[in-house]
Amino acid sequence: MSACVYIPVQNSEEEVRVVLDQLPRDASDIVDILKAEQAPLNIWLIIAREYFKQGKIEQFRQILEEGSSPEIDEYYADVRYERIAILNALGAYHTYLGKVETKQREKDDNYVLATQYYNRASRIDVHEPSTWIGKGQLCVAKGDLAQASSQFNIALNEDQNNVAALLGQACVEFNMGENEDQYQKALESYKRSLDYYKRALRAYPNCPGVARLGLGYCRYRLGQFDKARQAFQRVLDLDAENIEALVALGIMELQTNEVDGIQKGMAKMLKAFDVYPYCSMSLIHLANHFFFTGQHFLVEQLTENALAVGNHGLMKSHSYYNLARSYHSKGDFEKAGRYYMASVKEINKPQEFALPFYGLGQVQLKLGDLKNALSNFEKVQEVYPENCETLKAVGHIHVQLGQIEKALEIFRKATRVDPKDAQAFMELGELLMPTDPGAALDTLKSALNILKREGEEVPVELLNNIGVLFFEKGEFELAEQTFKEALGEGAFLSFLFERTKCSIVDCGAYNGQYWDMTIFHQLEDEGISLDFPWDKITTLFNYARLLEQIRNSERASILYRLILFKYPDYIDAYLRLAAMGMERKNIQLSIEMIHEALKIDDKCPNALTMLADLELKSDDWVKAKDTFRAARDASNGKDSYSTLSLGNWNYFAAIRSEKRGPKLEATHLEKAKELYTKVLMLCPANLYAANGAGVILAEKGHFDVSKDVFTQVQEAASGSIFVQMADVWINLAHVYFAQGHFALAVKMYQNCLRKFYYNTDSQVLLYLARTHYEAEQWQDCKRTLLRAIHLAPSNYTLRFDAGVAMQKFSASTLQKSKRTADEVRATVTDLKNAVRVFSQLSAASSYHSHGFDEKKIRTHVEYCKHLLDAAKVHCEAAEREEQQNRLKLEAVRQDSLAEEARRKADEQRKYQLERRKQEDELKRVIQQEENFERIKEQWKNYSTSGGKRKDRSHFEDDDGGNGERKRRKGGKRRKKDRRKDHYEQEANIEDEQEEMDEAEAKQMNSQVEEADRANAHLGLEDSDAEDDMGYSAIIRKRKAWSESDEEDEPAERIRNPTPNGYRNSAGSDEETRGNGRSTQNEEEDDY
Amino acid sequence: MKLAGLKTAENAHDESIWASAWVPATDNRPALLLTGSLDETVRLWRTDELSPAAPPLGGHALGVVSVAAHPSGVVAASASLDSFIRVFDVESNSSIATLEAPPSEVWNMQFEPKGTILAVAGGSSASVKLWDTSSWQLVDSLAIPRQESSRPTDRTGGGKFVLSVAWSPDGKRLACGSMDGTISVFDVHRAKFLHHLDGHFMPVRSLVYSPLDSRVLFSACDDTHVHMYDAEGKNLVASLSGHASWVLSVDASPDGAAIATGSSDRTVRLWDLTMRASVQTMTSHSDQVWSVAFRPPGGTGVRAGRLASVSDDKSISLYDYS
Repeated sequence: MSACVYIPVQNSEEEVRVVLDQLPRDASDIVDILKAEQAPLNIWLIIAREYFKQGKIEQFRQILEEGSSPEIDEYYADVRYERIAILNALGAYHTYLGKVETKQREKDDNYVLATQYYNRASRIDVHEPSTWIGKGQLCVAKGDLAQASSQFNIALNEDQNNVAALLGQACVEFNMGENEDQYQKALESYKRSLDYYKRALRAYPNCPGVARLGLGYCRYRLGQFDKARQAFQRVLDLDAENIEALVALGIMELQTNEVDGIQKGMAKMLKAFDVYPYCSMSLIHLANHFFFTGQHFLVEQLTENALAVGNHGLMKSHSYYNLARSYHSKGDFEKAGRYYMASVKEINKPQEFALPFYGLGQVQLKLGDLKNALSNFEKVQEVYPENCETLKAVGHIHVQLGQIEKALEIFRKATRVDPKDAQAFMELGELLMPTDPGAALDTLKSALNILKREGEEVPVELLNNIGVLFFEKGEFELAEQTFKEALGEGAFLSFLFERTKCSIVDCGAYNGQYWDMTIFHQLEDEGISLDFPWDKITTLFNYARLLEQIRNSERASILYRLILFKYPDYIDAYLRLAAMGMERKNIQLSIEMIHEALKIDDKCPNALTMLADLELKSDDWVKAKDTFRAARDASNGKDSYSTLSLGNWNYFAAIRSEKRGPKLEATHLEKAKELYTKVLMLCPANLYAANGAGVILAEKGHFDVSKDVFTQVQEAASGSIFVQMADVWINLAHVYFAQGHFALAVKMYQNCLRKFYYNTDSQVLLYLARTHYEAEQWQDCKRTLLRAIHLAPSNYTLRFDAGVAMQKFSASTLQKSKRTADEVRATVTDLKNAVRVFSQLSAASSYHSHGFDEKKIRTHVEYCKHLLDAAKVHCEAAEREEQQNRLKLEAVRQDSLAEEARRKADEQRKYQLERRKQEDELKRVIQQEENFERIKEQWKNYSTSGGKRKDRSHFEDDDGGNGERKRRKGGKRRKKDRRKDHYEQEANIEDEQEEMDEAEAKQMNSQVEEADRANAHLGLEDSDAEDDMGYSAIIRKRKAWSESDEEDEPAERIRNPTPNGYRNSAGSDEETRGNGRSTQNEEEDDY
Repeated sequence: MKLAGLKTAENAHDESIWASAWVPATDNRPALLLTGSLDETVRLWRTDELSPAAPPLGGHALGVVSVAAHPSGVVAASASLDSFIRVFDVESNSSIATLEAPPSEVWNMQFEPKGTILAVAGGSSASVKLWDTSSWQLVDSLAIPRQESSRPTDRTGGGKFVLSVAWSPDGKRLACGSMDGTISVFDVHRAKFLHHLDGHFMPVRSLVYSPLDSRVLFSACDDTHVHMYDAEGKNLVASLSGHASWVLSVDASPDGAAIATGSSDRTVRLWDLTMRASVQTMTSHSDQVWSVAFRPPGGTGVRAGRLASVSDDKSISLYDYS
């Protein structure tokens, strides 16, 4: 049963019956009939509408266009309403076309056509409301809401209750609300829109359900979700298959975010899909849902459909977004990126839909396109300035771009925005680690607290980093707790420790235990799992490092070995074991470990530098240099440590050679300086390079500048337990010494000893002694040397120095014009000791070579003996003087006694006798005194010249002595790469290298010799001086020589900066010759 | 097992104190503490008040590096950096003998448990000198043979520079420690070198046998470790770490359950031998602790355990060990 229209046949009662659902395909037939029969216009309209309903748009248009042709206008001139209706229909049709059309030009063409039709309609009757409504809708379509509103108003003025106008007005208001940026104003609009809808419904309660949709949307926008739901439900009640209502309800259900709601929502969506499979909204939401359930195939299908059916930009954007997301989650970043890009392209401004920007940013970040990623995230940020995820992403990119400050700022903001975002706190903390460990620790602790409060799993890295920060702060117990927590249920650890405690090692195979994994095998055989996940290995390593720091080296070594047992490629564990071996002077073990590390990676710069240090230690200069170079090349010169070491190498080379070629020395120094500068350019915060530069400056005599450098380095070095720069203290002390500030130098040496060496470094004690010596604090000097001997019993040089100090003390005491018998006696004792020390050395040298020339020692012995003889005279003299004083006193006493006696007994004769006796005594005394005076005279002669000498000797030391004795350490890279796992190892290696340097520095202290020599020379020169006592003629002669020799002097300056080993093996002959020579020089200078 | 501080005598010497030993109790007096210092004096102290038992004893030059007491408590020896050993009567401070064995230096000394021999670490002579305690004549010199495996020679000429000696409680064995870290064990009666104990590579400054077991030897080394050896089996039984700097001195408690160590890190540590771990750290000193000594048992009415420690800070500390 289908509807039909009857076209009255002109001039007849007949009618042509046209069955509406059997309209001919060719509309021309109908048009012909209509024209021929001059059918009323409303029939034209009905048929056109029917075509439209059946989707036969062409026919629809054809009929209407025919129906609005000028001839029709003429013919039906007085049929106004129908003509208007036809024009309006055409107008509406073109409005629709324009709305749907994507190409701007055709869109505009359609709008122009529509406008023309409406205008024609208006010309027929300007008051026809439906024309106004049509015009209004055209304006809505064009987006000209204000214009639309006024058009609708005109219609409403005609009829307050014009439903179409009311609905139009409601629509305008709603869209105004949509377009409004300000929330409050938008709400106003929605409210007004809601009012219009209500009016429309009141005016026409039976209007189709669709009208209520708008009501629902308004309610929804106003936040009245229940009422909105009711409205949509009502629509569905009226029309169970209304897609919009289904979708709207579905969305609302989905938004409840509860399982139940989501299920209902999905049911609605499915229904909408069943009803009309081409609704992009429902397709998108379905796709969205299936994305979350992981059914990517469905996602793609649905989205493709959505794309095929919909032409709305935002919808397309959503669809592309869904596709992109799907690929993204599947890890196909390239495709994902393309779809995100497509999605983004559909969006006019990020406010509409920010998510694809975020996704695109993520993909770009993943693909390393940091710049574009950043700009995309920033777009998201424009929309959601407080979004934590975006902030973190932006911050992360800034970190990657090296814009730390910016990143810090952003992460700080993120933590402010969401004080519960542990991730943000973690990132912030990690960023702060290199620059502000204190703040970093606090931040990471907050992250930890958040995670714990939320009951979430705490990542190992977080605990690891906190542990490291505690460690660095020196809070070892907290650090240990944290590491243990990070390692989790480490029951096997304590078990392991317990077990290894009982293992007994054969001494002969002492080093073998480091290779012995049987203990671990045993434990595994017993069913104890030693497995630990890879992400805990860093923490395990750090824990071992901590154990090392708190001197539990046994356990530390077990842990390192455990790491190697499980992960045999873990180079750092080998290197730590090597470092531990080195610390205990187990060189063989160290070398084995390093070679093991090199087996894994023969280009590992850390292993190479360590090896080079060891080679340097064993005096293998050339090899060491090659190894350093290899290390430098292996790291492409980025590893400042090896460069720095090369600098040191050059410096040492400059000061070591015995036959000093000034040229060679200058080249080496220059080269060293160059290398230090290079390191400083690479890494301006490198303390060790700065220290090295300071040393070179001091070497060249720029003490003030070098002092500044050292002071700054010293300040910078205080603070971290990983930076232990004793050298800079020593260098500073050297500078004080060089400038003659002995008291300051003494303080500095002492503090250094106490702070860094637990007072165990005999080398620094030697420096100290040297300073005391220069300051003429003989007893302090002697005692310092004795302490040094006590610490380093086999260092005979120290004994020699002690002998010299005592000799010097004695000599200087004897020089004094006034001295007590006690002093002289002390002198004698010390001289005796000196003789003993020297003779012992001489005896010992017969079967030991400590590098002393026997002849020289013998000279000392003889000189001391000579002094002793002299002193004996002095001593006797002094003792006599004392005796005499005593006698004087006695005499006085006896005098008084005699007086008394005389008074009592009056024995004149006795008195006379007494008197004569006294006279005799006196005579003798006078004689003695004269004698003594003579000797004194001689001494005086000497001491004047001695005074002169002193000045000279200071000067001499300034350039001769201390310059070379600067010690320094190889550098340490303060590489601030402290990303999670990395960092600690870095630090360790640094530390380790530092330790290596330490040892290296010691080794280099061939400079010992330097100081010793200097002492020795002074001593000897004294001895000559004493010998020359009284022979002023010779002195004068020597003076004359010295002048002529002056020029040669700098070149001849003594230097024996040879490492001990060198001296043991080859050098002793040459060296002593050198000494002899220089002795002469000095002595000449002095007079 | 614990230590409790009893008293600290500040400025007990004018200079760093380097050596300490307990003089066993005799019939008419309790045990005394003997200390030697850089100030070239040797002093005797009464316990527990740490009051001087005699005026400072002189006769040394260049600082006293070692003191030892005869088990009888009558005689004691002190040695100084000038390589003289002075043997004196504890009661009267009269010199009994002055010993020297040039060119050998003198470092640690220890009387044989029965008191017949005084063993002296001979420094660069690479030997231990044995002195007869009745005639005060040098009776033997136990030399360390040159080791086959040539370790890279220590550049300080340390080689087999002998620093420390220890007698096994049965008097059959003598161990000596040297600069390069090796420990040599001798059969005293046959005057024969037995073997080395490896594991240290830095100076071993102090050695002591367990009073209960003649096989167990403890060594204190600059490498911050104390090793526990089975000296007969050549085995390293345990390596005790904990000190932050050189371990300068080690002594075993008379009950054999504990050892005490003194270190450059300014602390005295007590180690439980069953746990093989440090159980207590004393921090009464402000500088290197050069010597620790447990008081030997004996004497009337003295049962309480005592530990003394001396330091570079010129002070002596006395602890109750229980």
